[in-house]
Amino acid sequence: MKKEFICIVCPNSCSISVDYDKQEIKHIKGAQCKKGEGFVKNEIKNPLRIFTGSVKCINGNYQLASVKTNKPIPKKYMKQVAQKTHELFLEAPVEIGQVIIPGIFGLDADLVITKKIKKISI
Amino acid sequence: MIKKDVIVIGGGAAGLAAAVACREKGIEDILIIERESDLGGILKQCIHDGFGLIKFQHSYTGPEYAQKYIDQVEERHIEYLLDSMVIDITNKKIITVVNKKGLKKYQAKSIILAMGCRERTRGAIGIPGTRPAGIYTAGVAQNLINLHNYMIGKEIVILGSGDIGLIMARRLMLEGANVKMVLELLPYGSGLPRNFNQCLFDYDIPLYLNHAVIDIKGNKRVEAITMAKVDRQGEVVLSSCKEVPCDTLLLSVGLIPENELSKMAGIELDPLTGGPMVDEYGQTTVSGIFACGNVLQVHDIVDNVSLEAEHIASGVEKYISSLLKLKNYISIEIGEGLRYVLPQRVQYLADDTTFSFRVKKPDNKKQIIFKNNNRIIKKRSFIRVNPAEMIRIKLTSSELSDIKHLKVELT
Repeated sequence: MKKEFICIVCPNSCSISVDYDKQEIKHIKGAQCKKGEGFVKNEIKNPLRIFTGSVKCINGNYQLASVKTNKPIPKKYMKQVAQKTHELFLEAPVEIGQVIIPGIFGLDADLVITKKIKKISI
Repeated sequence: MIKKDVIVIGGGAAGLAAAVACREKGIEDILIIERESDLGGILKQCIHDGFGLIKFQHSYTGPEYAQKYIDQVEERHIEYLLDSMVIDITNKKIITVVNKKGLKKYQAKSIILAMGCRERTRGAIGIPGTRPAGIYTAGVAQNLINLHNYMIGKEIVILGSGDIGLIMARRLMLEGANVKMVLELLPYGSGLPRNFNQCLFDYDIPLYLNHAVIDIKGNKRVEAITMAKVDRQGEVVLSSCKEVPCDTLLLSVGLIPENELSKMAGIELDPLTGGPMVDEYGQTTVSGIFACGNVLQVHDIVDNVSLEAEHIASGVEKYISSLLKLKNYISIEIGEGLRYVLPQRVQYLADDTTFSFRVKKPDNKKQIIFKNNNRIIKKRSFIRVNPAEMIRIKLTSSELSDIKHLKVELT
């Protein structure tokens, strides 16, 4: 089966054409770097994405702390992880890199803070 | 009047990188003036990842990227003012600032303009119809959702396929809204191809090219929009009109460099970029006033903003040390296939010059050629070109010596 993929690894957005049978790649061209080939392999087998979103944060200089998964997770988990972020509450201060949920949904990725939120005195 | 060596107007990506780079060059007396309550600019609300791949070989989110520079500003004890608005700049480099404490005037040896850009609105593109609540620009929606915990709607139509619109399509889907479609007037998408993939196709959001919104309905709140096909001449195909029920219309229809202050200082603007006309150091037509980042030209990648800001710092440093010596004035001509070219002039030839530009339309197997009369000075081949992606090419001062004119073209 022939298919065209647009790589999302970097802004080059390489268009990579692949000829594959089930999960086996027979022919691949168009990637400007090795990461592109890796991306396509995953897209065929198990597409991976970084999740980014936000979590409510009280007593901080912002109402929300932004979060991400520190590793790409299977695409099919994106909505589930988003749902989870809606249920969480944090208390300021929080720091970049702070782990909120280790191994979220049993995956090999932690949900971590991506924004420093300062505590405000009321 | 308070004296400063360098005043940076704007504490976003460009301003922070410029201030840090000026300090690296040995300039001590620097002040950053920021109108919001925190440094970081637009990066604060860009919570998605993909920032920093060129500079740091790592994919950061916007707030993480900004924090890297904020930390450097703090570590180097670079002075900054928050919640402070510059209301005037003169060509003598006098800056008037207001904040809660009152009004202050500063005299700078050099000024770096880093005010960024703002979004085109409904008014700018003139969509007919009623004026209900529920019409947002993509960046405002991003600010409300990501910083203020305020959801903007449930059934959403996006007009324009700029990157912020695409990023918001995904964000809205994950936040529980239904993004019904993205409409784009042009025959091709305006954002980076990877964003169409990971933001629209991943969530089965349809993209309609050659389409416009020709009517908005609703009294208190948006109730529906009318979409229509647009032909090659730009005329609406009336038979294609279709009403789409929705409660929110998001606009991602372009950005405009924010140059009101530049105009006050008498700086000449380029109608093609909306930003100041500059030399190879980003120096405007008022000597000692420099510009970088989105106030100069709208960027698609923050790394290019940082690189541009770092580069102008060497011009600022030379300017305040009176080392900028006119050597050879080269005028730059925009050739076939390009929308604009920066800088508009090269005159010092002390360092390498990075040219940045955008093509007019997407294409495959193209070359960018720099030539003086008929002599080719530099040539670069591209597998494909896209107006969404700024191209940057460096020329050395020896490649540019002895010429008076340089033409950049796409063939």
